[in-house]
Amino acid sequence: MIAPVANSLNYQLASKLLDASVMRHEAIATNIANAETPGFRRIDIASDFTRALRSQFDGIRPPAVSNIAAINPHLAEDPNVRTVRPDGNSVEIETELMAMSRNRVDHEFLTEIVSRHIKQLKTAITGRIT
Amino acid sequence: MELLTGIAATSGALNSQRTRLDIIAQNIANARTTRGPDGGPYQRRIVSFESELLRSTDSANGANSPGLATVRVSGVTNDPTPGQRVNDPGHPDADAQGMVTLPNVNLAFEMVDLITASRAYEANLNVAKNSRQMAMRTLEIGK
Repeated sequence: MIAPVANSLNYQLASKLLDASVMRHEAIATNIANAETPGFRRIDIASDFTRALRSQFDGIRPPAVSNIAAINPHLAEDPNVRTVRPDGNSVEIETELMAMSRNRVDHEFLTEIVSRHIKQLKTAITGRIT
Repeated sequence: MELLTGIAATSGALNSQRTRLDIIAQNIANARTTRGPDGGPYQRRIVSFESELLRSTDSANGANSPGLATVRVSGVTNDPTPGQRVNDPGHPDADAQGMVTLPNVNLAFEMVDLITASRAYEANLNVAKNSRQMAMRTLEIGK
């Protein structure tokens, strides 16, 4: 009976995006750490992750959970960023700090969703609202 | 995967920026030192950084996929530019013509470097704080 909650589309999506937000935080930490390394190129989640997720929501019917589970985020160099510095480094510290704040809010939101799913299950088991 | 995500990269950067701050402090402190252990005037030191791969992110993506990288000090080198020479015959380190070679430390450069280094340090501290808060949130899932 636990499987329907763990396999629900929202739960799967939230945990997938939670993985992505943790990975993005790692990327931002790397970018800020290397803000003064000559020739360093900014890294981020590869854009094909969001593209693959979005393509699942093109139709009227919600996508199959197994399709969502097969999409995994990975890191790549950001191809859109320009470098204006003489040392070839493409990190802008303000952009990274903004991205970090935003990512943190995303992370909080997603942990909340995952928590709610688990709480719902607890309520169903115990019959009490915790 | 570690619990505090990205902390390895951040700690490497904090260490490197710390070293940079130490070297800047040393440069400023020795801005008028005309005789070092080798007998000559103090030479300004420069810290250079290099990135160090922590782990490559995705083996499926081939060798050229970027990985998480921390930063480390690749070396502390002497600035070879000659120092300013002033005429001061009474100085104990003056040569036969009464000229003294001062260290090649420019205080304006050092101050700008100092500000950049401490800003970078602060930014990395911010990341560390954020990593911690994210880990705490993750541990609270289901509570």
